[in-house]
Amino acid sequence: MATRARVVRMETPATTGSNALLVLVGLGVAFLLITALLGAAKSGGPLFNESNLLYVALIFYAGAGALYMGFGVTGVAKYVKFASVATAIGFTANTLAVAHRWYLAGRPPFASIYEMLLSFVWTVAALTLITEKKFGVKIIGSITMPLAVVCVILMQLLPSEVRPLVPALQSTWLHVHVTLAMLSYAACAVSFALAMMFLIKDRFPTETFLALTSALVSAVYLAIVATRFEKWGGLSVTAWDAKEKSDVFLGRGVRLFVTVPDLGWLFVMAAVASLVPLLFYALARAQKNDSYYGLANKSIFVGVLLQVVVLAAFVLRVRDASYASPYQEGLYPTSLAASPFILGGLVTGVFASLLYMMLLWRRSDLEVLLPSADTLDRVTYNTICIAFPLLTGMIATGAYWANRTWGSYWSWDPKETWAAITWLVYAGYLHMRITRGWRGRRAAYFAILGFGVVIFTFLGVTYLLPGLHAYA
Amino acid sequence: MVSDIVSIPKRFFKALSNLRTGIILLLLVVIASALGTFILQRPATDPDKLQAAYSPATLQWLDRLSLTDVFHAWWFLALLGLLSLSIIFVSIERFPNAWRFYARPYRKTDAHFRTGLQTKAELPIKNAGDGLNAADRVLQKLHWPVERIAAGDQTSLYSERHRFSVMAVYVIHASLLLIFAGGIVDGILGYSGYLMLRKGQTSSVIELRNGQKKELPFGIKCYEAGQENYADGSPKKWWSKLAVVQDGREIKTKEIVVNDPLVHRGLRFYQASYGPTGVEGVKVVATPTGGTAAREVTLRLNETVELDPTTTVTLAEFIPDFFIRDNQVFKRSDDVVNPAFRLEIKKAGGDKPATQWIFPAYNPMGQGQESDYHFEYRDLQMGYFTGLEVSHEPGQWLVWAGCVLMGVGLFVAFYMVHMRLWVVALPDARGKLVLWIGGQANKNKDRFEQKFEEIVESIRSELDRASIAPRSARKEEEAELTLAAVK
Repeated sequence: MATRARVVRMETPATTGSNALLVLVGLGVAFLLITALLGAAKSGGPLFNESNLLYVALIFYAGAGALYMGFGVTGVAKYVKFASVATAIGFTANTLAVAHRWYLAGRPPFASIYEMLLSFVWTVAALTLITEKKFGVKIIGSITMPLAVVCVILMQLLPSEVRPLVPALQSTWLHVHVTLAMLSYAACAVSFALAMMFLIKDRFPTETFLALTSALVSAVYLAIVATRFEKWGGLSVTAWDAKEKSDVFLGRGVRLFVTVPDLGWLFVMAAVASLVPLLFYALARAQKNDSYYGLANKSIFVGVLLQVVVLAAFVLRVRDASYASPYQEGLYPTSLAASPFILGGLVTGVFASLLYMMLLWRRSDLEVLLPSADTLDRVTYNTICIAFPLLTGMIATGAYWANRTWGSYWSWDPKETWAAITWLVYAGYLHMRITRGWRGRRAAYFAILGFGVVIFTFLGVTYLLPGLHAYA
Repeated sequence: MVSDIVSIPKRFFKALSNLRTGIILLLLVVIASALGTFILQRPATDPDKLQAAYSPATLQWLDRLSLTDVFHAWWFLALLGLLSLSIIFVSIERFPNAWRFYARPYRKTDAHFRTGLQTKAELPIKNAGDGLNAADRVLQKLHWPVERIAAGDQTSLYSERHRFSVMAVYVIHASLLLIFAGGIVDGILGYSGYLMLRKGQTSSVIELRNGQKKELPFGIKCYEAGQENYADGSPKKWWSKLAVVQDGREIKTKEIVVNDPLVHRGLRFYQASYGPTGVEGVKVVATPTGGTAAREVTLRLNETVELDPTTTVTLAEFIPDFFIRDNQVFKRSDDVVNPAFRLEIKKAGGDKPATQWIFPAYNPMGQGQESDYHFEYRDLQMGYFTGLEVSHEPGQWLVWAGCVLMGVGLFVAFYMVHMRLWVVALPDARGKLVLWIGGQANKNKDRFEQKFEEIVESIRSELDRASIAPRSARKEEEAELTLAAVK
């Protein structure tokens, strides 16, 4: 009864302010579109090319994400309507971008990590619309749309020219294999979003979300600091050859790094700041004193501000500038495009923290908006029931294709092995759910873990564990 | 004592037939596989790279634990074996119950069963037979097969769909075992290797992965091989024209490309690589002394070419980078920067061949002992090889069969629902006669409930129609009677 009363109370004032966000997002989208249009007109290139379309998709996805999150915070139903419209427009632009590339290349866009991300974002947007319309999970866009935005930003930075297919990729099986992969990965992404919502609805402690968010952000910053911090406070990034649109290589597989002075200290500060909430959380747990949680939440807020500063500093200093390299004489240019994963990590960190703050401030309202925990739990399971056969098909077609190309259906290549690990994790989930009756939280943890493994298989293996599967 | 000995295999079976053991084994496989991708693996990585990446002591330990070749380590294979056993034992443990359920479905509608059922509905009826008939008609129309079950003096209806879906999980597990079996067959009987052929060469000896050689029962001949490039210079296509040769006869020819291998007697030959082998010979123009009939000949090392019926020429020696001292030709290095060729021209009946040298960098004409021919240098003859990956995987058909079976199994298990309906006429709590309808589904329960409600609604409207129908039927009868009377 208390929650009911709250909703009513918050909905009445919201109607007056409800147009503010719509106007704001609308203006933002219009402004960005006009700037883009002016830019395109000035450059004199064709208006409807792939990168412009993708930019339009990015603008609308970002707008949709903002509206979905606005809906999450205020509960104004109108936002969702506009958010779905924005998603649909973004999806249309995305579809046109896919079609344009398909037409240009004369083949489906599955051949490089850029093209894979293009298809992945398309599938995620499609599934978001389906989940929203068919299952009534309206809030799902507040998780999937930021994911789409991060992916599109990553794509802007990856080499995007249409490359001809290397001999091994000239096969019908490529299309079957990659379509299945994209569909199953997108289904896993949706099941992840649903599992997170289940945890919210299931009164999963906000403090644990605090700890998890803080741990994720710290992991991002500590990983960057551990691998990229240079002497005297610099941050080393890959040098970028603007003409070739590729990293600068010293030798086979050896990239040239340049050092951006002083940026390293900023990252160290952000890493320390992201650890502070975790420390307060640990203190609260150890001393059983809840007042530390307040401090932890305040420090998260400070952390977000610092993260935004770091992101801005990184963008400003790394975008089209030249720095000295400790490995070779002279100044070398670098670009945002040379460090897609640092940028991706930073944007993910900001988004994760913002999502947490949304949860912190508006949890009870969010809970009212979500479908029942049972529904979320069931729909999570249903999406995994879709993802698992697709995953199986992906592995089987991959094996068959490998057998025709490399002469062996299974060679324990890192990508293969990780695909098998993903499959085993979801197989574990299904067994625990069906025969052990795992429902609710434990099942949700499993779904989240599964998506973590999927992300590692998709992106992590490509960049960290190169093998036969070198294209993407 | 005896009971202890007996109980060891029993305990082993019990431990492995536990689902928890299965999940633990699955986790161990996951961890081991992940380790195998993070630690550099032996056959794929150069020993130098391994030594650069790890300290000697670490490497020694990694090797001792076979962590540098996880996927072929005995303990990894044992883990996979235990996992398969666990799948088998779990299935054996659960199969009898599932089979009983499958073979003898519960058709009766006794009171105890009715209370336990979650999804049920009651419709008021006038008479038991009509009610059951109406339900029967509706179910038949919806393509539900209906059985009439007689228990004592009571008759009830039983109907079900997709009963086989309860067995799908065994199909999936069997398919997984089939895939494992294929892997084991290939591990024992299969082999893979490499065959490098120059143009025109025939060979039946392949080099296996472990460095040993293996003789095939037939030879492979390479007629032609080549590479096509895109405009930007990246490779577009590698191809080889191959023939299978047995006892001097050609059995089969095929042009293979990267995604399309040659298959013969279970052995598959894949296009794996293509490249230059280096200088193979020289192209020269031979002109008879005093004659004009010049002709271009290609000379390969130690290959004899007939110039006319009485004269032959052989490329006897090739020096990639030469220098001359004391009127003798010596080799300086292996780089093809300053080549020299030694030709031997032999006349039929003549005892000693004439020797001529060609030093293209200084003079295109041959120089040396007199012979019936002049030789003029044209070009280096480059040799190309085609690299073929050879594999024999007799177990692959088990693997593909397993994959197909798994696809079918997963589809049935996830998307075909075993649904059951029971219908019986009986008095309700207040003693009024009702048609009791109960239903059950093994998954997607909420969707089944919708379907159940639809079916109940159809039966309700069928009952309504049936209660009106007899009257109208009587009217028609009466009409016919009057018609007959008129006649």
